[in-house]
Amino acid sequence: MAIVDIDDMYFHYPRAALGEGDEGWTLRGISFEVTAGSTLGIVGESGSGKSTLIRVMCGLLRHQRGTVRFEGQEIGEFRGKGANELRRKNQIVFQNPRRSLDPRMTIRRSLTEPMRALQGRKPDDDELIVSLEKVGLGREVLPRFPHQLSGGQLQRVGIARSLSVDPTILYADEPVSALDVSVQAQVLNLLMDLRDELNLTLVMVSHDLGVVSRMCEEIIVMRDGRIVEAGRTDAVLTRPESEYTAALLAAARLASLEREVEAPG
Amino acid sequence: MLEIRDLRVHIDGHEIIHIDELDLPPGARLGLVGESGSGKTMTAKAIAGLLPAEAKVSGTVRFDGNDLLALNDAQFARIRGKRIGFVFQDPARSLNPMMRIGRQVSEAIRLHTDLKGRAITDKVVELLTQVQLPDPASLVRRYPHQLSGGQQQRVMIAAAIAADPELLIADEPTTALDVTVQAEILRLLISLSEERQMSVLFVSHDLGVIRYVCDRVAVIYGGHVAETGSVDDVIDRPRHRYTSALLAANPGMPKDDDFAAFMGQRLHTIPGSVPAVGRFPSGCRFRNRCGHASAACASIPSPVTGADGHRYSCWNPGGED
Repeated sequence: MAIVDIDDMYFHYPRAALGEGDEGWTLRGISFEVTAGSTLGIVGESGSGKSTLIRVMCGLLRHQRGTVRFEGQEIGEFRGKGANELRRKNQIVFQNPRRSLDPRMTIRRSLTEPMRALQGRKPDDDELIVSLEKVGLGREVLPRFPHQLSGGQLQRVGIARSLSVDPTILYADEPVSALDVSVQAQVLNLLMDLRDELNLTLVMVSHDLGVVSRMCEEIIVMRDGRIVEAGRTDAVLTRPESEYTAALLAAARLASLEREVEAPG
Repeated sequence: MLEIRDLRVHIDGHEIIHIDELDLPPGARLGLVGESGSGKTMTAKAIAGLLPAEAKVSGTVRFDGNDLLALNDAQFARIRGKRIGFVFQDPARSLNPMMRIGRQVSEAIRLHTDLKGRAITDKVVELLTQVQLPDPASLVRRYPHQLSGGQQQRVMIAAAIAADPELLIADEPTTALDVTVQAEILRLLISLSEERQMSVLFVSHDLGVIRYVCDRVAVIYGGHVAETGSVDDVIDRPRHRYTSALLAANPGMPKDDDFAAFMGQRLHTIPGSVPAVGRFPSGCRFRNRCGHASAACASIPSPVTGADGHRYSCWNPGGED
């Protein structure tokens, strides 16, 4: 069953200089479906529209043309309590937890905010500790401020915060690219474990084809605001149809740990 | 080309770096790999004399026979930028946003060569051509913001090689770039190094990139060289437990016939995170995160050297020669 269904969607930022055809649009003619419980990877170079796309999908940005349906309903039509529910069910983990958590709030307060804003309730410490334990942290972080935690710990807080309101879809926008290699692995494993345990739909933006191959059954390759290729990850990455996907793949293999045969220069 | 012996950097009473021994042969490309806080960039800066005054640097760094650490500022200024070129991570921050591309490159030529007048203009165009930028004659009038990230990095490289340096220090030169652009810049660096017999000290967190670019690699952790050797030895036959842990934590890329087995597979993790400066354990810097640590690891392991300069400092090494 499709949990998100996008049809011929176009998006532009305010005051974009729109021209002939689809010139000036950040997203152009996007159509695809996300199956409930699946994991989707969105890849493409910077400026291709990946991050904009997930922000439209979860209702943070409003598209101008086409349709974006969540659980069958156009996301622009969610109002009042419905809009709150939309936001609760669609949660994002951002790339840089140091920038996405308020530096003046304790972790306790940062964790409390989504439940207060979206569910109108104030959790007690016991509940916060349960959500921290799910991501491998403990009660000792509650009184701390973001600058007192490492990047990996902060990203775990970011994940705990998103999961605290019991979402159906978790969007992760380059969730590990600000982290060290040794910490990346911990966070990626955590995301896979939580996805399986909570039966989450996961939509992940990543520039790393290795991460996407490991985590995502489905892949979308974007360029210049368009989808150039989409399908099952193994099919797309073993038999790419577009030249662009092939180029991305070649570049990723070149910088992989395997010794490549390609002669330099 | 570069011979480092007993290089130590102290800041606020903490010993941040201690590189006992590291060599970069002429024309070779040496990678310094490590996570953030490992000391890789600080090592490169110590070599280049670019550390702040509060850093106390000792030991020797021989460059073509001269000890760089014994030079005074004026002497160092005659080498830095001229015989040793630099490329940094973020070209948008390294270039002057108010200055046209031509002038950014010509300034390097004016500072470090004897060229004058028209010869400088010609040299700028020649350098921009060498770094494979399109239409150099009109590019010189552009400003940095009119160029893509990859083009900006090519301009930085053009300025860095203006005086034909014997050594290029490149600190994460492609980390801010997209993967397809990264591949182009890496190819360019390799071909420039080969054409000019220019040695390269390549600093990166990415072992895959280092394998592509470099002949040799030093794995840095806690300011120490955990392991060094040819890229093939270190990556395919790691001995130090940190090197193998780092390799196993890498997401990697599946082979074409291997996708099904790859999907959903958990990564090997290293517990905890890289300690803050001054918080590394004594002895082996990695021992508090290592699954193979023993009582011996409380003292600093003496380096073991195998064939082809494959050297590691680990009390409980994995693999075999």
